[in-house]
Amino acid sequence: MALSSSGPGAWRRPSGASLLLIGACPLQVFLLAPTLIVTPMALTKSNIIEFPPVWISVHAFSDYLRDPEWMADTLVSLKIAVLATTVACFVGASTALALHALRGPVRGAISSFVMLPMMAPVIVLALGDYLALSKVGLVGAWPMIGLAHSLMGVPYVVLSVQTSLSGLNPALVRSARSLGARDLAVLLHVYWPAIRPGLLAGAVFAFYGSFDEVILSLFLQGPGVTTLPVQMFTSIQYELTPKIAAVSSLLVLLAAVTLVGQGLLRLTASRAKPLAAP
Amino acid sequence: MADPTPRSASDAYLEVDQVWKAYGAGGEPVVRDASFALAQGQFMTLLGPSGSGKTTILMMVAGFERPTEGRIFARGRDITTLPPHQRAFGIVFQGYALFPHMSVQDNVEFALRMRRVESHARRRRALDMLDKVGLAAFAHRRPRELSGGQQQRVALARALAFEPDLLLLDEPLGALDKKMRETLQNEIKDIQRKTGVSVLFVTHDQAEAMMMSDVIAVMEDGRIAQIDTPEQLYNHPVDRFVATFLGETNLLPCEVQGADGDLVRVRMAAGVICSARSGKAPRSGASAATMSLRPEAVKLLAADETADNVVEAEVLDRVFLGQQIRYTLRALGQSVVSVGAPTTAMGGHPGKGSRIRIGWSRDAGELLGPDAGQRP
Repeated sequence: MALSSSGPGAWRRPSGASLLLIGACPLQVFLLAPTLIVTPMALTKSNIIEFPPVWISVHAFSDYLRDPEWMADTLVSLKIAVLATTVACFVGASTALALHALRGPVRGAISSFVMLPMMAPVIVLALGDYLALSKVGLVGAWPMIGLAHSLMGVPYVVLSVQTSLSGLNPALVRSARSLGARDLAVLLHVYWPAIRPGLLAGAVFAFYGSFDEVILSLFLQGPGVTTLPVQMFTSIQYELTPKIAAVSSLLVLLAAVTLVGQGLLRLTASRAKPLAAP
Repeated sequence: MADPTPRSASDAYLEVDQVWKAYGAGGEPVVRDASFALAQGQFMTLLGPSGSGKTTILMMVAGFERPTEGRIFARGRDITTLPPHQRAFGIVFQGYALFPHMSVQDNVEFALRMRRVESHARRRRALDMLDKVGLAAFAHRRPRELSGGQQQRVALARALAFEPDLLLLDEPLGALDKKMRETLQNEIKDIQRKTGVSVLFVTHDQAEAMMMSDVIAVMEDGRIAQIDTPEQLYNHPVDRFVATFLGETNLLPCEVQGADGDLVRVRMAAGVICSARSGKAPRSGASAATMSLRPEAVKLLAADETADNVVEAEVLDRVFLGQQIRYTLRALGQSVVSVGAPTTAMGGHPGKGSRIRIGWSRDAGELLGPDAGQRP
């Protein structure tokens, strides 16, 4: 399966390729390239962010790493992202498993309900959460930001776990039962191995979604509880230091590493698959 | 409804008692009033075309489906509502359904693991089972690294590893090529004889059913049309469906005239009088019936030969098939097929268009009962 795209027929479809070239490429280049510009900008000797940069120094990176406030924000972001990912994975995976067992209109209704956070305007959600949480004095608590983020992560986990489950042979469940497996054993030996790749992919999305999130974090922040993106967003308004560029390029690097890692994982998985044709 | 006392006094291992199954309220039943008993060590096949309800019956025996009506007993104990993991039946599924992330050995060990058998013992038992199906050398492979036939053997070993009393097989050979099917048919039979396990087998392939089964239940439209040994089914089919589903046959309309010893006298087309076995048809006079006459019972007669029943025929077509010659004839105003060994075909292999006589013995024809739809 993984090798089929490298066959001789792969390049013989000019229509799709040229569409890609004239349509998608300019958009990607025009809007994605700036993310790459931040790295050279971070390497400037200067104390203000500018283009072209004055090469070459890493002082922006060490400034970031030495700044206790920024490091505290980074830690808050990490804590929030880990909590959000854990909750999203647990809720998302159980929802997907429950939906898998359901049929008919109930399933459709629950699916659309679960997908709501993807469609709902985040700013309205943030405002609502802010008003509700300020009533009970929970604005400015990092676990609440984590929970709010997990809400955004759930649809991704549900979708990717559902994709994994759709490839699950239902006879596997039956054969496990016929061999004496109770519900817990079926979950452990049949469902868990089946959903693992989807859960991992969903977790990565949920983690980045949270680590990157600004609107909810901005509304629900409090003294000492500011996330890294919020710090970047607020500081860009009054200080134009290359520190922001340095943090940005670190974030891009982290995303790139994860993407490559995921790709490698998928490659080894697909290589292990088709050794013997049935 | 609940009947706490063991109901069945027979020696049947499994008993399916007047089971109905319909999906949804008021849905068309997919299984209608199925009853049968499977003796200990017996190999029974549910045979029928797709959609005849045979897999549904198997799934109800396995516990994955619940009968709408009726009950199922194992060793006299009512298991109708017992969950599958407590039934302890070995099941082999159509698509093998091996656990893809486990090695072949772990697959075979699974049932023992669920029963908390100590790891050393279950390892030995699994290797022993794999040895029985000739795959001991593949114990550490993943299922996907095996061919279809090998995977099916693993599935069989896995289903038998915990020594179930009953093995349920749901078209286990459907996805394999002809040669592999035949090999595995023999192997399954072999393992069944060695282990003494009772088998309930589901297939749509009549040759496979004939080859493997002690008893066959022929299914039509959710109903069990007939349960019998392969020989009885072939020689004494109850109705048109069974007669045509198991092997080829000539269906000849006739009219029952009256008893003739053990047989009945029937009047065929063009006024020819023949004798036939009465089968399930009424023996009384003047009722319309259909006679089933197997092609191999129809003999081409030489000029000096005769037979109990003789009619005139014209050769429409002749096909040489190696072991036999197949004639399509026109007789009694319809097409009649005759199959015979080339050397014994009399009359020097008459060609297309020749006018000959054909004959069959007194007890070759079998009158069929009314079709399922017309039965009470």
